[in-house]
Amino acid sequence: MSAIATRYEVVVGLEVHAQVTTQSKMFCGCSTDYLVAAPNANTCPVCLGLPGSLPVINRKAVEATIRTALALNCEIPEFSKFDRKNYFYPDLPKGYQISQYDLPFSRNGHLEFEVKGEPRRCGITRVHLEEDTGKLLHAGAIEQAQSSLINLNRAGVPLMEIVSEPDLRTADEAREYVMRLRAILQYIGVNDGDMESGQLRCDANVSLRSVGATEFGTKVEVKNMNSFRAIHHAIEYEIARQTEVLDAGGKLVQETRGWNDAKNVTVSQRSKEFAEDYRYFPEPDLPPLEVSRAWVERIKATLPELPSARRDRLVKDFGLSAYDASILTSSKPMAEYFEETVRLGAPAKTAANWILGDFSRFLNADHKEIGESALRPSHLQQVIHLVDSGVISGKMAKQTFEEMYRAADPGPALEAAKRSKQISGDTELEAIVDQVIAQNEKSVNDFKAGKAQALMFLVGQAMKLSKGRANPERLNALMRARIEP
Amino acid sequence: MKPFQRTIRELHQMLVKREISSIELTESALGQIDAVGRETHAYLAVTRDLALRQAREADARIREGRAVRPLTGIPVALKDVLCVEGVPTTAGSRILEGFVPPYSATVVERLSTEGAVFLGKTNCDEFAMGSSNENSGYRPVRNPWDLDRVPGGSSGGSAAAVASGEAVAALGSDTGGSIRQPAALTGTVGMKPTYGRVSRYGLIAFASSLDQVGPITRDVADCATLLQAIAGHDPRDSTSSEHPVPDYVAGLQGGVHGMRIGVPREYFVTGMEPAVERAVRSAIEVFERLGAAIEEVSLPHSDVALPAYYIIAPAEASSNLARYDGARYGVQAGGGHNVTEEYQLTRQQGFGAEVKRRIMLGTYALSSGYYDAYYLKAQKVRTLIIEDFARAFEKVDALLGATSPTVAFPLGAKTQDPVAMYLNDIITIPANLGNVCGISVPCGLAQGLPIGLQVIAPGFREEVALRVAYAFESATSFHKDRSPLIGAAG
Amino acid sequence: MLPEPDSELSSREVEHVALLARLGITPEEVTRYRDQLRNILTHIDALNRADTSRVSATAHPLQQRNVMRDDERKPSLTIEAALQNAPRVEDGYFKVKAIQE
Ligand SMILES: [Mg+2]
Ligand SMILES: [Zn+2]
Repeated sequence: MSAIATRYEVVVGLEVHAQVTTQSKMFCGCSTDYLVAAPNANTCPVCLGLPGSLPVINRKAVEATIRTALALNCEIPEFSKFDRKNYFYPDLPKGYQISQYDLPFSRNGHLEFEVKGEPRRCGITRVHLEEDTGKLLHAGAIEQAQSSLINLNRAGVPLMEIVSEPDLRTADEAREYVMRLRAILQYIGVNDGDMESGQLRCDANVSLRSVGATEFGTKVEVKNMNSFRAIHHAIEYEIARQTEVLDAGGKLVQETRGWNDAKNVTVSQRSKEFAEDYRYFPEPDLPPLEVSRAWVERIKATLPELPSARRDRLVKDFGLSAYDASILTSSKPMAEYFEETVRLGAPAKTAANWILGDFSRFLNADHKEIGESALRPSHLQQVIHLVDSGVISGKMAKQTFEEMYRAADPGPALEAAKRSKQISGDTELEAIVDQVIAQNEKSVNDFKAGKAQALMFLVGQAMKLSKGRANPERLNALMRARIEP
Repeated sequence: MKPFQRTIRELHQMLVKREISSIELTESALGQIDAVGRETHAYLAVTRDLALRQAREADARIREGRAVRPLTGIPVALKDVLCVEGVPTTAGSRILEGFVPPYSATVVERLSTEGAVFLGKTNCDEFAMGSSNENSGYRPVRNPWDLDRVPGGSSGGSAAAVASGEAVAALGSDTGGSIRQPAALTGTVGMKPTYGRVSRYGLIAFASSLDQVGPITRDVADCATLLQAIAGHDPRDSTSSEHPVPDYVAGLQGGVHGMRIGVPREYFVTGMEPAVERAVRSAIEVFERLGAAIEEVSLPHSDVALPAYYIIAPAEASSNLARYDGARYGVQAGGGHNVTEEYQLTRQQGFGAEVKRRIMLGTYALSSGYYDAYYLKAQKVRTLIIEDFARAFEKVDALLGATSPTVAFPLGAKTQDPVAMYLNDIITIPANLGNVCGISVPCGLAQGLPIGLQVIAPGFREEVALRVAYAFESATSFHKDRSPLIGAAG
Repeated sequence: MLPEPDSELSSREVEHVALLARLGITPEEVTRYRDQLRNILTHIDALNRADTSRVSATAHPLQQRNVMRDDERKPSLTIEAALQNAPRVEDGYFKVKAIQE
């Protein structure tokens, strides 16, 4: 890639569609959990597009969009409206999508993130609100399918479209941008961030231009990348593909290409020779919206601490490196896990190393979120304490941690570790007992004179001598046997 | 005098006095449908069983004196653009043949709660696009006054049903004159309420920013009674208004003495039949005799209302009718190689010529490169028309004019010339674009055919239009003229 | 403003519009609709007579603003009711022809 980068400048802009977490759909009262429901179980006259039905705006979806826009440093215009985007597709029941055209809820924001610790900033063109489409099921690949099956449970789920400026220059930047965006959406509680299930979807506009050129090259829209890996690979692939075409003196066609995750290639879907004409016009069924400054302020007041602020706090309060801090805060659950572990008494740096090290490695391998693990902050804190108090070695701690992670209940593995280096062998214990007796004649005599608690003292001394590793029951028995008259 | 010939108000008195039962009344109306229905084609579906069931319930309500309302037990007809749960609803289109809505329109629910009796779904121009009812996907409606003539449209079935005694009253919908014009051509009373006055939920959309549901009745008092039942805010229609609903029936009284009534000079359009103009002029004299101050006013942009309407309405329609693709309901053509061909065949076979014409006109007007020149321009003209009315209503309380420039014309007279057909609505369209309310009342006959007088009042002042119309009706007897099919109301 | 007279509606445009609107159309219909629409559009050109320089467009007749509902679930239709009008159904799904031929 580096050789290419010297010849061409890569220009990438991202369009992220994020479902808004609400109870009911954007324009009707149907439930939004379309993943669990039976086909077409969550439908009504409105989201089926039955004749005569009319939409009514879900206030929570509007406020979530404004929250998002504020978190992305956007301007919120005082006047906004919904428009109809007209096109035919079997997953679009009304033959138009209720969306926003010239007066979206927000525009002109930006998002800051890091690539390998280096700060980056990408402009946000706009964040607008629309309705999601239904889902199509094809018998086999879409190209060969004889028919399509339509499930409208997802039709009408509130959907935010977050459009970036063409400010991204590498596949890494694109991936980090989406990671940070996802983290923000989770932080402010408007989206759960699951890319596989389609809660968060990403399209990329990729083009190349020779270094120093001012106007953009022919752009290719890459669709259905539903993981961070896919986003990265798809853009890398497009850069390579377009470079090849240009180097061979060829011309690029403006087209839409789909990312094929299995084959690791992008495939042309439709070229734009039949230009879609969406015939946008103001949605007559929905009066426009006046977004008063007071309303915006009320929404602003509900915004929680954002990743960037939290990252700075972790650096300041716990002395973490900016790099560690930004990875920890890239996921809200991970940041909360870290802070809880520290709150329980673990040293911050150590806790961070564990979470970003083995723990993340195991989780990534299993495609799991930190919250899904049975291994809670209290467990991690205890493992760290065992090492720090010399009970177990670092090497042993790693084994213990993995056992705890793999087990349904981390408890037993942790207890075993606590007992692991215990001294139970009589010969070893007797040596300790003898040494204690030799050093504490007075107490031995007190005991013989009937002072029962003197035994307690002697056992305590022996335990100290064993650095707490002596088996208490056994030690007690041996001590008593040696000094009893 | 047969029960079906009477008015809502007369029948209500007879029902509560137990001089007649709703069953008897309903059967008399159903009998009239059997007798003349095959001549008028006013209905697309007669809901006999539903009607008789509702009539029995109404009689029980009256017997037990439980929640007896002005419409309890009254047999009414519903334009086929209104969804009724479990009852076939086609909007007069083949593409919706066999469609049975799983829900009811808000106005339908309100009438059910009132205890009204539903006789059936009335014939109309396909998706309410037309002024003669010849665009019905099934069969044209015939005018009860002369079966060789049109009843007007698009609510021609509702108007013909009321004029022929096949219903005591009916609901229609008005986007550019579709209630008032057929009312005028059938000698009935028809009102287009202000946009937002009546819920559109469950009304199959033609042009969403213009459509309104309204009453078609035998007289003005019935019109007030029926409007009272359907008017008011509906949370399911975001464009329905929270403006309070006055007592329309109480508001009928008071007359027009001292009222200022304007006569828009532009409403005496070229091509208006002399008999129609004469009838309107003498109606104006009636108002003068009643003590109203008549003055000529000007609505200078009336001449661009029609072109603006024929951009805005088709544009909205082209989008509203996109849902008819044969996938979830309606008729699917079959035979396409892929879904696009399937849609094209379904819509080619399912839609009639006028609907296709308007879908193409609207699609063209919205398409890139033409939006500003047509759609945006038309919306700006709409603003001018709203301002015209606002300015006029600073000087006067109501406006008077003809409803239609002509009386009912012969079937087929205008089917070959879309533009000539569009001109039927030239005096009704401004009220839809200008966001005011209008009512048409009978004001005479020309060669035995009814003429309609249009009264226009400001937005959400339906009570004013009704009061003016009622004063005229009380001073005249035109509303007592009955079509030959219903028979003289002695 | 309005397209020049020389840019009068062409058969190609009629075909394009019919495709956008998913209306199957025969060659004869293309010609007929082209002529009818041309005629209608010449009448519509009367819009030019109105001076709209000082007015804004009216998209919504009423002055209502911010009409919204709370985020509450309402019962959906039964699956049977949702599918009852569908010409073709399979395993609880609506069924249509494939996207590609
Ligand atoms: Mg979108
Ligand atoms: Zn729904």
